[in-house]
Amino acid sequence: MLRLPKFEVKNPSTVEEAIAMMHAIDGEARFLAGGTDLNPNMKHRLFTPERVVALGGIEEMFGITQQEDGSMRIGAMATLANVASHAELGLAYPALSQAALLVSGPQLRNMGTLGGNVMLDTRCQWYNQTYFWRSALGFCMKKDGTKCHVIEGGSKCVAAASNDTAPALMTLGAELEFANATGRTRMPIADLWQADGIWNKKVAHTELLVAIHLPKPSADQRGAYGKLRDRGSIDFPLFGIAIRLDLDAQGTIFDAALCAVALQARPWPLKKAAALLCGTKPGEESFTEAVEQVAALAAKQCRPMPNIPGDHEYRHAMVSVYTKRALLAAANGDGPVHHV
Amino acid sequence: MRVFRLQVNGDTVEVAAPEHWTLLEVLRYKIGLTGSKQGCDKGDCGACTVLLDGVPTLACLSLAATVETSAITTIEGLLPAHRANGGEGADPVQDAFDRCGALQCGFCQPGMILSAKALLAKNPNPTSQEIKQSLSGNLCRCTGYTQIYEAVVLAAKGEQV
Amino acid sequence: MAARDQHGSEAPGDQGFRVVGKENRKVDGLAKATGEAIYTDDIMLPGMLHAKMLRSPHAHARVLSVDTSKAEALEGVVGVLVGAELPIRYGVIPWTPDENALATDKVRFIGDEVAAVAAVDEDTALEALDLIEVEYEILEAILDPQKALVTPEPAIHEGRKRRDNISKHVDLEFGDVDAQLEGADIVLEEDYSFHSTTHAPMEPHCAVAQPNSNGRLTLWSSTQITHYVHRALSRVLELDPARIRVIQPCLGGGFGGKSDPFSLEFVVAKLALKTGRPVKMLWTREEVFYAHRGRHPMQMHYRTTAKKDGTITSVDAKLLIDGGSYSSFGLVTTYYSGQLLTGPYNFPNYRFDSTRVFTNKPPNGPKRGHGSVQPRFAFEVQLDEIANRLGIDPIEIRRRNFIGADTETVNGQRISSNGFMQCLDEVEDASDWKARHGKLPHGRGLGVAGSMYISGTNYPVYPNKMPQAGVQLKIDRSGLVTVFTGGNDIGQGSNSMVAYLVAEELGLLPTSIHVVSADTDLCPVDLGAYSSRVTFMVGNAAIDGARKLRKQIIEAVAKHWEVEARDVRLMDGTVIDLSEAARSMTHVEAFHLAEELFDTLGSTGAYNTPELGGDYRGGTIGASPAYSFTAHAAEVEVDTETGRITVLKVWAAHDCGRALNPIIVRGQIEGSTYMGAAEVVLENHDLNRFGLHSGPSLLDYRIPTSLDAPDLEARIVESIDPEGPYGAKEAGEGPLHSTIPAIANAVFDAVGIRLRHLPFTPAKVLKALRELEEQN
Ligand SMILES: Cc1cc2nc3c(=O)[nH]c(=O)nc-3n(C[C@H](O)[C@H](O)[C@H](O)COP(=O)(O)OP(=O)(O)OC[C@H]3O[C@@H](n4cnc5c(N)ncnc54)[C@H](O)[C@@H]3O)c2cc1C
Ligand code: SF4
Ligand code: FES
Ligand code: FES
Repeated sequence: MLRLPKFEVKNPSTVEEAIAMMHAIDGEARFLAGGTDLNPNMKHRLFTPERVVALGGIEEMFGITQQEDGSMRIGAMATLANVASHAELGLAYPALSQAALLVSGPQLRNMGTLGGNVMLDTRCQWYNQTYFWRSALGFCMKKDGTKCHVIEGGSKCVAAASNDTAPALMTLGAELEFANATGRTRMPIADLWQADGIWNKKVAHTELLVAIHLPKPSADQRGAYGKLRDRGSIDFPLFGIAIRLDLDAQGTIFDAALCAVALQARPWPLKKAAALLCGTKPGEESFTEAVEQVAALAAKQCRPMPNIPGDHEYRHAMVSVYTKRALLAAANGDGPVHHV
Repeated sequence: MRVFRLQVNGDTVEVAAPEHWTLLEVLRYKIGLTGSKQGCDKGDCGACTVLLDGVPTLACLSLAATVETSAITTIEGLLPAHRANGGEGADPVQDAFDRCGALQCGFCQPGMILSAKALLAKNPNPTSQEIKQSLSGNLCRCTGYTQIYEAVVLAAKGEQV
Repeated sequence: MAARDQHGSEAPGDQGFRVVGKENRKVDGLAKATGEAIYTDDIMLPGMLHAKMLRSPHAHARVLSVDTSKAEALEGVVGVLVGAELPIRYGVIPWTPDENALATDKVRFIGDEVAAVAAVDEDTALEALDLIEVEYEILEAILDPQKALVTPEPAIHEGRKRRDNISKHVDLEFGDVDAQLEGADIVLEEDYSFHSTTHAPMEPHCAVAQPNSNGRLTLWSSTQITHYVHRALSRVLELDPARIRVIQPCLGGGFGGKSDPFSLEFVVAKLALKTGRPVKMLWTREEVFYAHRGRHPMQMHYRTTAKKDGTITSVDAKLLIDGGSYSSFGLVTTYYSGQLLTGPYNFPNYRFDSTRVFTNKPPNGPKRGHGSVQPRFAFEVQLDEIANRLGIDPIEIRRRNFIGADTETVNGQRISSNGFMQCLDEVEDASDWKARHGKLPHGRGLGVAGSMYISGTNYPVYPNKMPQAGVQLKIDRSGLVTVFTGGNDIGQGSNSMVAYLVAEELGLLPTSIHVVSADTDLCPVDLGAYSSRVTFMVGNAAIDGARKLRKQIIEAVAKHWEVEARDVRLMDGTVIDLSEAARSMTHVEAFHLAEELFDTLGSTGAYNTPELGGDYRGGTIGASPAYSFTAHAAEVEVDTETGRITVLKVWAAHDCGRALNPIIVRGQIEGSTYMGAAEVVLENHDLNRFGLHSGPSLLDYRIPTSLDAPDLEARIVESIDPEGPYGAKEAGEGPLHSTIPAIANAVFDAVGIRLRHLPFTPAKVLKALRELEEQN
């Protein structure tokens, strides 16, 4: 079999215990949620922690509950299947539930958590491979080596954020509740990322994501997620785009957000493109025209690289197609955009 | 080494295994329940699917150390459970797979059957699209899936009787 | 010797078929459904060691030294093995033994095996691998077959008669091809290519060896060819074959990917002998991708001449075959690439020039439709184009060129039964072809293609005149009949097939038959599950053996009842007196009477092919006692914005002679068709610029999920072959072939682009669409 490295497993039952266990070791420790990313990565020797802190016993981290102010609290341990099948979430935040539904296949959605998806490691065809494979390659900068095989001579890792829910959470303005040795903090998800494929987050791996908070949606908020992949299931995104549209009582868009993923280290918000949508009205020419412009602009702003598998020029060609389709799907409420 | 206390197919099993072992390894190589198969060992194929509290889960990506509180059902558990409920022969889903010729090499099928079983428990009358969706994490290399769909439909009919 | 006896295609008694043709359960279905079936990795023996393989990180290198001392010193390590301990070469084809279990001189691709360790557990074995020091001298790696063709140095295999990188060259001409150019109404000449794809059976390779205290050795292996593994083990281990027992447990799929002897089999055997303990080696999925033996990539050039009415006058083919790093079945592949194209259409003149070269890649070998899927793709696309140019309906052009039944191909192959015309009728009807082909809205299309395949060949891998298939039957006083067959059930259902045939002959229910298979100690030799030979050959052997017992049972009962033999009917486990007396007895009573009369009951049965094939060098390779025929119609949708081809539905009509169990035949047709469709739009066994497999996992090598497989509709055509077991022919490989060109041709119907280079990625489709737009 593909061996896991040797480690010990801790099973805390509170957030505080988990933080303490994370720190009470000289070597490396890692949080384990659903394990659908960490376990394969450990089997590939991308991570070799001495301790794994399993989060399954922490009650506080489960559950999806509406707060009094109309916002939604999703425990970081809520599974993607929980998120995808949650009726209120589906109505209020369609892009998120569609994105969750398109992650991988059924079993992985039963196991994988929303917190784990946010905290997912970046991906690269030269990196998500076994130790033997990487040794035959001579390794790469992200792990065990010095070179980058995507950008020859490059000094920065550009492994791709490949988490489907991240762009959806970005468009929704989600806030992340972290716990660390000094207490609890909340940060907008947009502030989480940094442009470094080796570690694309501004928090350390020792900080625990406890919950994801979604602000109350506007009265007529719409959304959709579009995902390009080869197969109808299992595959990571080759390109993903999330859309949020807020319409006023007249049906005119007054706010919009677009965010793409599977490009480079960070999820990629398309602010200029989103601005073009404001003031237009779905169903009318103004919107149709704006959609074309947004799609063209998205293609300029999104430059897929040969980091993840697949022909990157083709992925680029699909940016405008998927952006356009996702915008229409958001307006019409018939997402997700997916080939099956 | 750690002593795991697992609830497998209705039995409580205490078994010592290295702490970093997956559920799949413990089931197969320590408990001897070799019905759960390994086709990739990293989440890509579904051959190792077991039910945790009725939910299809990949045993190759589950640490034994994290599943002690769940009721684990492996393929070996279905027939005895069916008999315990007064049934005859094999579990109706297993039987339907056999009758429809869905079992060629059979290697994907323990996982496939458990996914089908979980689907039917939740949704006794699935549409063909729902069947395809529910089985889309279980790769089968032999059948082209058609006879598997037929088996699920047959089992659904049978279970209503 | 009954080997070449014909049993006829009719039911043995006067009551018609009672078992054959019915939708019976498989003999092992429930065992597989309940988790009871034992596959190789399910075997755990007391004191068993676990072995792991050290592999080359270089695509081409000389191994200068291997130092295992540190590994040996690691606690928990029990045995270490290097190439020098297994110096004898092997290869499935006895003329080209070029493999070593572990490298002795060179490594030839990234992943080639160098050393092995057996330890108390896998973790320890892995740790020990890290401690082995190997010194390499890196050589230039040849990855491009075109380059291999013209570059003799460095030779990937040294010390051969040929001092270059050509593995095999075959050049054969039948009739006069060039003479047809003049006066041809149409000449079409194009290049085609087929990429690399692999089998990806769900079960990774595994082998377990157990040394026995009496000096014998038992090997359990996930192999499709127990007999050849037995021979190879004996050769490499220099051990009397009588001291080796090879067993194939339940097998989790093969598709040709387990039809070579593999290094792990020799390694666990040697380590078991060395350590005196059982040893298991289970390959990871990644290692299975390195073992490969998948579909050979081919670069193909075809030139066809035809008359105005669509009649083919000549076909000329030049093929470059990428063999990868070892010979494997390559000699046969090279012949098959030309020999198997000469039906279902009549080629009055035909030439092929095929060259297989070595490259520093995982070795290619036999994948479902060995050697002939690639040429079939090219030719069927070319034929479609000819039809289009001449304004002939694609199904019609195929009918016009039909070769017929009871005839001979231009290269001297005997065609007996041939249901191809009915196959065409079936897919024409099922797809509503007449109303829809050429008439669907832009973006949707229908395509058709046809093919033929062998039901085994009369070329045994090593020359001998013994039967190609044998069975042995034993009757127990309980009424149970045990059949021993060397045949490998790899999921295709060959054990069930044997049970049905024996039950039919003996008038029993299939549940009265117990099949023991693929165990060299217990079972008579069968050559293995390859070339679609098992149903035809083992089936005939089973009927042969059972018929002898049938005679004895009938004779004993007739004597007891004092009636004529023809008055005794064996049916469904009961023996009936058809004379006026109208009596009956159970089959158990009948068995007892027969045992009283003839002593202990048992029999053997065998099959060997008749003399077949053309009278020229290689003329027997591809010469089959019966050919199966297939027609596919495919419906596709092409998204002109994304370039994605969705294969909506494939209708597959397959002539399998007689369907011994229609459910199993359907499963073979559907499984083949699905696999073919995936080769067109999804799968690619790709190497990157470093010669590394670009994604050796079931995540990156994209085999279809349930959401990706097309709707499949299988139609069974029964031409009843005069020599097949009750008229049966193969069904396991033929129905893959024409899937691929049918999809290609459907894409043309949908959007007007001719794709000649597989795989049809969306990017390629977009490019072709753009080019078409520019042309218009
Ligand atoms: C075959 C396959 C296909 C996949 N396809 C997709 C896909 O299409 N789209 C996609 O987005 N993902 C995909 N994934 C990845 C993965 O399944 C999901 O991203 C999943 O959501 C990860 O969640 P998890 O709970 O399993 O994370 P884990 O593996 O448990 O953790 C992932 C990382 O996050 C950290 N972490 C987890 N929870 C927390 C927390 N609460 N606080 C702080 N750190 C934490 C862990 O330490 C680890 O580093 C796929 C995985 C596989 C094996
Ligand atoms: S982009 Fe890929 S190859 Fe480059 S350093 Fe990052 S992981 Fe390695
Ligand atoms: S073995 Fe677990 S998913 Fe493949
Ligand atoms: S039956 Fe063989 S893989 Fe599904």
